[in-house]
Amino acid sequence: MTVRVKVWGARGSVPSPGPQMNRYGGNTSCVQVTLASGEILILDAGTGIRTLGLDLTGRERIHILLTHLHLDHIQGLMFFPPCFRAESEIVIWGPASPEASLEDRIARYISAPLSPVEVRELPCSVAFRDTPASEWELGGARIRAEAVTHRGPTLGYRIEDLDTTLCYLPDHEPSLGAPLAGLEPDWISGFDLAREADLLIHDCQYADEEYPEHVGWGHSGMTDTLTFARRVAAKRLLLFHHDPLHADDFLDEFHGSARRAWESLGGDATLLEMGMEGAELEISAHHPVHA
Amino acid sequence: MCDEGLMERSHTQKPLELILARNLLTSISTPAFLVDASASVVFYNEAAAALLGRSFEEAGRMTADEWTAAFGPFDEEGEPMEVDSLAPTEAIRDGRPAHGRFRIRAAKGAVSIEASAIPIVASEHGSSGAMILFWPLEPNGAEPREG
Repeated sequence: MTVRVKVWGARGSVPSPGPQMNRYGGNTSCVQVTLASGEILILDAGTGIRTLGLDLTGRERIHILLTHLHLDHIQGLMFFPPCFRAESEIVIWGPASPEASLEDRIARYISAPLSPVEVRELPCSVAFRDTPASEWELGGARIRAEAVTHRGPTLGYRIEDLDTTLCYLPDHEPSLGAPLAGLEPDWISGFDLAREADLLIHDCQYADEEYPEHVGWGHSGMTDTLTFARRVAAKRLLLFHHDPLHADDFLDEFHGSARRAWESLGGDATLLEMGMEGAELEISAHHPVHA
Repeated sequence: MCDEGLMERSHTQKPLELILARNLLTSISTPAFLVDASASVVFYNEAAAALLGRSFEEAGRMTADEWTAAFGPFDEEGEPMEVDSLAPTEAIRDGRPAHGRFRIRAAKGAVSIEASAIPIVASEHGSSGAMILFWPLEPNGAEPREG
């Protein structure tokens, strides 16, 4: 019994289509997780969720776990085919805010003048769950949500299914004002979520030389991502949320650099991968396998 | 089968707002302390360490009682002050900023300070603690009584 992961969008910030982006893809954050029970969880609703939705026929109940409401994580919602099927029951989980409910905040996007339809006009049944730091169960899996360092209310997720653990931190800057290498674990954002994860999907938007120009933007440079992954003892790492300026050739070189750096930190280079649109992975506690 | 009931999660990690507050305090040159919801000192920065003569790494986490035994506070006559009457305690208890003046036993002897305490209140689970900034004044008061 394994947990399967499919990447439908690994790009950060803004969709970035183009021939030079074809291999890694231009769609923004969306990951499908198929639990051992067969239940599907969708992590984020960037533009990748549109094509995922075309694949979801015959499924009525769908859970979408949003990390936060920046546009690159919700833009695909309005184009998610199950939203337009009367038989669909969609549950959207996302960060709570003192400012407004999750539904009201999402409705700012799915409403005029940005959208031709309103949330109340969607033919599906849709429920919103304002999610505090908490744990709950979905499809037999244990879900844990915690606030993590990014701009605005943002959650990271830990999904434990049977003996397999997946952690999803697509937008995360744990090194902001914090020396990751020497800091005590309980002072590191996201540490408990990612601890000994069999697969850690983590923000790695910037090369190290790019990061100083983007400190505080809520994203990580390569060395910080790798340091975080080593600190939490992640068994396998998927670099995610690629900068929209990073074309395929750049990301190939980026991957090579990351693998060398990962090895120098004592990691296994074969267990460091790049988020690539369309990639499918199987994760198990002991034997990671490419599908 | 789907159980959507949210449960209190097992909590070993500091709340994010405390983590971010520590990151801020690490970066400023004003002596500053971070206390958690139980009023224990969970961090102080290098400027505070210079004032106290002891680094946080050396001192470690301190309960309110441990802090009081080590550093005070004392009033202008050198008498020990009730912790409940201090600005940090008020900030945590009442969830509002507080400001006070007292004396502490610092590296160079008794020091009069003004302290501003700012509560850290997270929307989802109430108070997480407070940030306390110290403004040292001239050490011109009476020496605190020992014992």
